[in-house]
Amino acid sequence: MVFSFGTRTPPTALTGEVVVSGLGKSYGASRVLSDVNLTMNEGEVVSIIGPSGAGKSTFLRCLNYLETPTEGTIEIGGARVVAGGKRPDKASLDHLRRVTGMVFQSFNLFPHLTVMENITLPQRKVLGASKEEAQEVANKLLKRVGLPDKAEQYPARLSGGQQQRIAIARALALSPKVMLFDEPTSALDPEIGLEVLAVMRDLADEGMTMIVVTHEMHFARDVSDRIMVMGNGGVLEIGPSEQVMSQPQNERTRQFLKAVLDR
Amino acid sequence: MIAQLLLTIAQGVGLTLYVTGASLLFGGAIGLVLVAAVRSRIPVISGIATLYINVVRVVPPITWLFLIYFGLPQYALRLSAIQAAIVGFSLIASAFMAEIYRSGLLSIPDAQREAAHALGLSPVATVGHIITPQAFRVALPAVASYAIGLLKDSALASTIGVREITYYAQQSARQTHEGLLSFIIAGVLYIVISLVVAVISRRVDLRLRRKIGVA
Ligand SMILES: Nc1ncnc2c1ncn2[C@@H]1O[C@H](COP(=O)(O)OP(=O)(O)OP(=O)(O)O)[C@@H](O)[C@H]1O
Ligand SMILES: [Mg+2]
Repeated sequence: MVFSFGTRTPPTALTGEVVVSGLGKSYGASRVLSDVNLTMNEGEVVSIIGPSGAGKSTFLRCLNYLETPTEGTIEIGGARVVAGGKRPDKASLDHLRRVTGMVFQSFNLFPHLTVMENITLPQRKVLGASKEEAQEVANKLLKRVGLPDKAEQYPARLSGGQQQRIAIARALALSPKVMLFDEPTSALDPEIGLEVLAVMRDLADEGMTMIVVTHEMHFARDVSDRIMVMGNGGVLEIGPSEQVMSQPQNERTRQFLKAVLDR
Repeated sequence: MIAQLLLTIAQGVGLTLYVTGASLLFGGAIGLVLVAAVRSRIPVISGIATLYINVVRVVPPITWLFLIYFGLPQYALRLSAIQAAIVGFSLIASAFMAEIYRSGLLSIPDAQREAAHALGLSPVATVGHIITPQAFRVALPAVASYAIGLLKDSALASTIGVREITYYAQQSARQTHEGLLSFIIAGVLYIVISLVVAVISRRVDLRLRRKIGVA
């Protein structure tokens, strides 16, 4: 395992690839997310950790409006959406989804389409790419995730790790500026998870801006620049990975890390 | 004798297939509109569609046929027996097909819609390329077994004088006094047609299953 602490510099100014401010979400009277702020530079990788029910998924899913946040603003890669008032117009939501790519815990490939079709269909429908262009992009990405010979397979024929790598390729095919991962390896055997983590590590090294909800403490510490710890719908603390892991400032962070690392 | 009876009764196969097939086609198309209406966000539309589906399904098919064939002429809408049968069975099939589509749609996990949204696919592209093809594959066996059910129900068209299999069987029975044999032959014809439908749907189903795996 390669340790590479603090190779990138944390952001200083309040402009960046990602600027989330005052983000909140309530379901009726129950408040599951409140006042979450996050600013990221291009190429930065932030891991989000925290106990179950902390609001990690909700936060991530608000960023591309799979969940509708009830307050705050989101700026990602030039797209800007203000929550709270009336629902943002279709153009800004489309823009937001164009600049974000998402990878789910359960992969969510389209089972009735081949691997090739899974990767080309969104390109054709969303970007208006021609079949040839889309296939060329797909072939490049399949090579990049280490599965160049799986193009004609259906997802059900692939292992979980392979499916997740295809899901990453499918998202990358739309050239997102920021990739969102929600526990991408939690449904996988630890060993199989490693092949997915390796792809994510490469992606980070190539300068992709990434927000990763994860329980993989090695990944959080080694690959991400910063770790954001969430609890109870809010941010407990955020800081350089190494610092959060070795000298957490918040008592609840300490408890959480102890529980996770002792397992 | 058997050959003679078979030749006579088999004359009805054409109309049996015609009434069943046309009703399945029209019913299937109307069912699509119905299921869209049921899922509509406008309460009046979804309410009416739901009411239609439930009313149509609880009234016996023969009552519908009589209503349409003998009842409607009172309001100057006179249909031929074949037309009345197709209208009646299409009506009934639309309600059942809507229910089959609905359960097909319900079987597609939300995660599929979410993945499509996250990729930025439009609602139209999501329904057209992601949801419907999968729902169709789930619904296929139910559609096939409904088609076989409709085939059997189509015998009721004989009661309003449509010359399909059962109509000819009744006629042969009366003329030749070979009642048992006539209806056995009719039964065998239904079995043969059902088998063909079942075999085709099973083939298609297996092919799809082998390809995409069971979800
Ligand atoms: N539709 C909903 N209605 C009401 N409450 C909800 C809904 N969805 C999620 N919640 C609540 O929001 C809170 C945060 O959930 P979330 O899934 O974001 O947590 P998480 O940090 O991702 O947890 P995990 O590690 O288990 O994935 C939880 O308390 C959950 O019960
Ligand atoms: Mg979660």
